[in-house]
Amino acid sequence: MAKVSETQALRDASLRYLWMHNRDWTQMAEEGEPLVITEGKGIRVKDSEGKTWIDVNGGYTSVNAGYGRTEIAGAAYEQAMKTVFAPVGTTTEPVVRLAAKVAELAPGSLNRVFLVSGGSEANETAIKIARAYQRRRGEPGRYKIISRRGSYHGMTGGVLFTGGGPANPRADFEPVYPGMLYAPQPNPYRCEMGGTTPSECAVRCAQAVEDLILENGPKTIAAFIGEPVAVPQGAAVPGDEYWPMIRQICDKYGVLLIDDEVICGFGRTGKWFGNQHWNIVPDIMSVAKGIVSSYLPVAATVVKDEIAEYFSERDATLSHVFTNAGHPVTAAAALKNIEIIEKENLVQNAAEVGAYLKEQLTGLKVDHPIVGDVRGLGCFAALDLVSNKETKTGFKPEDKMAQRMTDKLRKRGLLLRSRGDMLHMGPPLCITRDDVDDIVHAIDVSLWELEGEMGIARTT
Amino acid sequence: MATTTGKTEELRDLANEHLWMPFRSWVDMERHDEPLVIERSKGIHVWDSDGREWIDVNGGYTSVSVGYGRTEIAQAMRDQMRTLPYWPEGTTTPPLARLVKKLAELTPGSLERTWPVSGGSEANETAIKIARAYHKRRGEPGRYKIVSLKGTYHGGTGVTMWLGRPAGINLSDFEPEYPGMVYAPLPNPYRCEKGGKTPSECSVRCAKALEDLIVFHGPQTVAAVIAEPVCSGLGGVVPGDEYWPLVRRICDKHGVLLIDDEVVCGFGRTGRWFGIDHWDVVPDIMTMAKGLGSSYVPVGAAVVTREVADAFAGEQNILRQALTYGGHPVAAAVALKNIEVIEEEKMVENSAKMGAYFLGQLRGLEEKHHIIGEVRGLGLLMGIELVADRKTKAKFPASLRVGERLVEKFRKQGLLLRTLGNIIQLGPPMCITKTEVDEIVRGLDTAIGEIETELPAKA
Repeated sequence: MAKVSETQALRDASLRYLWMHNRDWTQMAEEGEPLVITEGKGIRVKDSEGKTWIDVNGGYTSVNAGYGRTEIAGAAYEQAMKTVFAPVGTTTEPVVRLAAKVAELAPGSLNRVFLVSGGSEANETAIKIARAYQRRRGEPGRYKIISRRGSYHGMTGGVLFTGGGPANPRADFEPVYPGMLYAPQPNPYRCEMGGTTPSECAVRCAQAVEDLILENGPKTIAAFIGEPVAVPQGAAVPGDEYWPMIRQICDKYGVLLIDDEVICGFGRTGKWFGNQHWNIVPDIMSVAKGIVSSYLPVAATVVKDEIAEYFSERDATLSHVFTNAGHPVTAAAALKNIEIIEKENLVQNAAEVGAYLKEQLTGLKVDHPIVGDVRGLGCFAALDLVSNKETKTGFKPEDKMAQRMTDKLRKRGLLLRSRGDMLHMGPPLCITRDDVDDIVHAIDVSLWELEGEMGIARTT
Repeated sequence: MATTTGKTEELRDLANEHLWMPFRSWVDMERHDEPLVIERSKGIHVWDSDGREWIDVNGGYTSVSVGYGRTEIAQAMRDQMRTLPYWPEGTTTPPLARLVKKLAELTPGSLERTWPVSGGSEANETAIKIARAYHKRRGEPGRYKIVSLKGTYHGGTGVTMWLGRPAGINLSDFEPEYPGMVYAPLPNPYRCEKGGKTPSECSVRCAKALEDLIVFHGPQTVAAVIAEPVCSGLGGVVPGDEYWPLVRRICDKHGVLLIDDEVVCGFGRTGRWFGIDHWDVVPDIMTMAKGLGSSYVPVGAAVVTREVADAFAGEQNILRQALTYGGHPVAAAVALKNIEVIEEEKMVENSAKMGAYFLGQLRGLEEKHHIIGEVRGLGLLMGIELVADRKTKAKFPASLRVGERLVEKFRKQGLLLRTLGNIIQLGPPMCITKTEVDEIVRGLDTAIGEIETELPAKA
């Protein structure tokens, strides 16, 4: 525990020298921010003044194995004592074993692994491979990328303009990357295509993808990219028809299917990979966060053998490299992390405790007039807050719902990310039922308080 | 001679079956008992899984700046990972707060606000996004073009891969190209595109050409100029002393931001903390990666001047960007310890001293071998350019695969060394000693001597 004066020094240094994500440092200074987090264990973290918090988002929905896994630190250290890096064009044991392990876990012929340092790089790599593959097989006209409105695939130039929507303004970074196409998001609660059931929404949204391909000409489309369960949409689970139909449509038109498992991968949704809920095998799969529970920066792009083959010969290699494309220390940490997930059956725990979480949250929907929808899959859930349940109307920006909810939850020891009218939850997969009760109770009371302030009566 | 163990074979098979290694063919590696699997390392040396010892002349990707085997960095990593292995940015952690303060101290002028990332590509992407968003904040939304120098490498992500259009990268695979890319001549004194006969003349002409391009495109359409102080990809191409001060002046005159890519040059590589320090120029945004953590873990940063960062203060002006690993506490702890090692062991000074000695020894080779067109560099960022004809500076045809053949010959000398076509790139760890320089130079001498007899070159 750091002394108070030290806390202030760290705070001051951060306010002056650190560019904190999506935060306004002038306002933070006025509010006595930022929190200085110093320790972590399980789903909880401690700040520099000794206060304990529940990290309901598990970092960025990324600390799958939970905090305080000293064995991961041990594995990384052991590797660092052997070698931290390797000369250009050579490799190391943990890098090789991680590639083999990911290939073993990934479905179908997803067997070739390009290691990188984060989700953005993984998706960039996927798109570069998709475009290059289409050229290699004699279809150089295929360059367009279809993504779904409201999805998120990263922050670097090639992925920045995929997905998008009002929650992620991009005007600052124009010009838009050429060849971006947008399909509707199969979010059953707010179906852009007017579907009134998850199934109807799924079918209509998949059909819209086919229409988009035909409208543009299949010969111009390189790939489709999507997360099995969409993230910024608040864990929007598509109807069961969606993914099998998308797989079929992609096959029909020679379009590659890129499955962004950056959040869904490694147990988050209660299966190893989100795509396994619908038994589909994508052509390229990107993974990040859960592969190492965020203990170090590492991620991967996993490619089907049939596609990788086009790049296997000496004069056909892909012109793509990152300094840390295969870093031994990060690989050692990832291997140990996967071992923990396996040994402790965390995927199953995510499914079971996740179901309990969703059940408890669904209870809130009955009690609270402002809870419009509760959704999720595995340890991945969201509350969609509305001012009117029938019309599903959200709140006005001046109501500052996100900020007020965050403040109320903080009073109760919860660090939980809310954005717009949405509360996002993605706790570590080692979460217990008791933890769920703590979290749901705090949300319940906070909602009750907020409704009181807004003069909204409880339903019961 | 070491023999191949069962474990080596197992790892090789697994690698060739599952691992996609950059710029390597797994089919080809299988045929030639590759890849090498590295097991241990220390200083500038590495040992493979069959016990063979090698010198890693490039120190990873010119990135293992303090050298291999620094146990105190490994311990700093472990200690932080045991206490708090991760925390998302938006709040803060002790090592992160300390690192950004340290970077503000080390970087010149008013460079002080850090956007931490995990690598060079992310750092340059972030710099470009900040530059574009900055112009929007100050009411010039039409400024979106980015000027880069031909032949320079700035990254592998969507926007950065189109910068510089470096040789050896097949960009047509990734079309369509990103809009708004403008390419200016590289101030390469040995092959000056603008016909300058001295480094000075070349740099003045190239700076003038850069200004002409800005004027031609219309300054109100140009967001930023991005460049490396010393071009690393082409083997330590050092511009004449006029270049950087002129570029700074041109940028100021036309309201264009100057992004200084210190991903390779930063943290002592050129014999100063930052390459740009050689010319006393302060950029608006500085990007860094490799040397920041000596590759012990992935880490990078974009450091921004107070004036530019101030445009993003206030709720309406927030830059909308988040990266999961941006501000990683373990990466920050590693970077801090790495910087401490560089400071305590005076590695920046050693880089200047050993670099000067190394370059001197290379000049000796230049006299001896007629296929050496030029040796060049600054600090421990150096290059040897081979030519078929010294007078005309004609290159060897690509069909001769000079680079690849040299790599083979270096290996026979125990050296792992990168080449780009006819250019040998040199960037060893900064802990290198005179004896080690001599050993490398002897190996280079032998290998270059061998290939010289095989090539149809003019004396």
